[in-house]
Amino acid sequence: MSALLQVWRMTCYEWFDAVRSRRVLVALVLYMAVAACTMYWAISILGQLEDVLVKVLQLPQSEQTGIVSTTLWKSKHFQNMMQSMAQSNEVYQDLYGKHPVELIYAWLLFFYMPMLVVLVAANRIPEEVGSGSVRYVMFRSTRGAWVLGKFFGQLSLIGLAVLCSGVCAYLVALIRLGRYVPPDILYNMLAWAVRAWVYAVPFTGLVMGLSLFTKSPGKSTIVGMLAIMSCFIVTVLVAHFTTYTGWRFCLPYLAALLPADYEMLLWRKTFIPLATGTATLVSQGFFFLAAGYFFFRKRDC
Amino acid sequence: MTTSALDIRDLVKCYGARRALDGLTLSVPRHTVTGLVGSNGAGKTTMMMTVAGFLRPTSGSVNLLGQGPFDAEIHKGRFAILPQDSDLPLASRPLELLVHYGRLQGLRRAAAEQSAKAMLDAVHLGDRLNSPIRALSHGMRKRVMMAQCFIGSPDLVLLDEPLSGLDPIEVAHMRGFILQRKTHQTIMISSHNLHDIEQVCDHVAFVEKGRTVRFARIDELTGKSNILSYQLAGTPPDIPALMAALPGGATLDFNPAKLTLICRYPSATFEPQEINQILLPPLQAQCGLIAITQGSSLEDEYLKHSLRAKDKRYSHLN
Repeated sequence: MSALLQVWRMTCYEWFDAVRSRRVLVALVLYMAVAACTMYWAISILGQLEDVLVKVLQLPQSEQTGIVSTTLWKSKHFQNMMQSMAQSNEVYQDLYGKHPVELIYAWLLFFYMPMLVVLVAANRIPEEVGSGSVRYVMFRSTRGAWVLGKFFGQLSLIGLAVLCSGVCAYLVALIRLGRYVPPDILYNMLAWAVRAWVYAVPFTGLVMGLSLFTKSPGKSTIVGMLAIMSCFIVTVLVAHFTTYTGWRFCLPYLAALLPADYEMLLWRKTFIPLATGTATLVSQGFFFLAAGYFFFRKRDC
Repeated sequence: MTTSALDIRDLVKCYGARRALDGLTLSVPRHTVTGLVGSNGAGKTTMMMTVAGFLRPTSGSVNLLGQGPFDAEIHKGRFAILPQDSDLPLASRPLELLVHYGRLQGLRRAAAEQSAKAMLDAVHLGDRLNSPIRALSHGMRKRVMMAQCFIGSPDLVLLDEPLSGLDPIEVAHMRGFILQRKTHQTIMISSHNLHDIEQVCDHVAFVEKGRTVRFARIDELTGKSNILSYQLAGTPPDIPALMAALPGGATLDFNPAKLTLICRYPSATFEPQEINQILLPPLQAQCGLIAITQGSSLEDEYLKHSLRAKDKRYSHLN
């Protein structure tokens, strides 16, 4: 009980300090700016694509971006194409009928989430270890409580930033597309924000776990970025080289250690895959953090 | 309950091939103020950091308050340290930071607030409770660092260079602040300012090359109770006659370069007034007397003990 209380106090102070040092503001601005810019850019691209489609297919000109896309969803050929892109009929079925704006938001959010996690969370622990301010805490609390407090503090900060990014992206879509974006899309976008936040847990664990090895905030950020890029490179390579014969048959087991392998579970609508994906990703986050902590608990500070 | 607040046995800390602590042994009595003196790189800070659990010892043992080596669960609230070269979180405010520390130590909010306010008042920061730490001067930050050590009145406090960077008035105030606490707390101070150590400490440990080379009470070390030093205006003509006038057990030692006559006497048998009654009249009559001091200074003792052994280049300091 006492240990949990210590973790809670650390988390609260992490928030307190984030507000005082304006790190909350920086994180919110970062997430909201990225969401707004990417949504703006994606709507522009969608508009251009639709213009091309209208010309090539000699369709009647539409006044509003998105209407052609929505119409396309209803075409059997387009559905077959999307099904093959999703590589899973279940995922396709769950996504079928979703508004293009929320799909664009979800896709972009899942894409940039890991890098934003690095920018927000990678340097928190090295900052305090490097400056020595951690020493004022370490004789008052266990190292484990301190690390967990930092972890939960960063996760909750990212959670708030992601929710705000959802609102921001919705507002951009509303301004660009007007009545084509109904109000209930906001609710769906916030639901996607929560899923993306779950997807952020293993990456937060990974970058914070790695940051426990160094006292340099800059080095920690670079190592975090390299680690996340490595995760994606490995995932892509595994998908490319996996065969059903020989040693390459084992490659998917390697990919199973990485968060990207469970991303599509978060795109599902049904409870069981969603819960399985959430549990796996959260476990991965704690596992990565624990691996770093295993080194940190014995390390000189 | 052991009589030592801190018991260190054969402590070794290696950084690669270099031994920062090389079998350091030290026992700090409860409710005393102990000074830690040594040259740069002697191992004082490493010793404090190891005791606090920031560094892991290579070998040896530390017994903190009779409850074994540092363990946050056991020693939380009973032990505190002012670490050297460690910044406070710059965006925080002194009061909220100290309340947070107090809460981590297990104090209730009201008690933590009360203790934090009292400590910040005691270090003359009562009017800066809510100023951001980044807006405080170096000396003020040092005082916040001092205040955080005494939140909740821990049994053992280690202070690494607590008075460096403070202005003379604050140094004098802090000396009083530390002295007030020694009746119910055990304090260890590492400092290069031997005058401060002499003023506030009961005991002193000389640390060199990762070992304790001397540990004694300050008054024993400096001879406050058994040495009288006479600064003369000239050379006394007949030292053997002065020696003959002294009672048994007392000795005289004259340093012609410094014109200093040192009298060592058994403190159990004689009072300094008795020695003065014998020596003052002939000294004033024969060569003139400038000053009398009781014992020597800690600085003299430290220089005598350490520097002479270290290098002949320093021999002029003795």
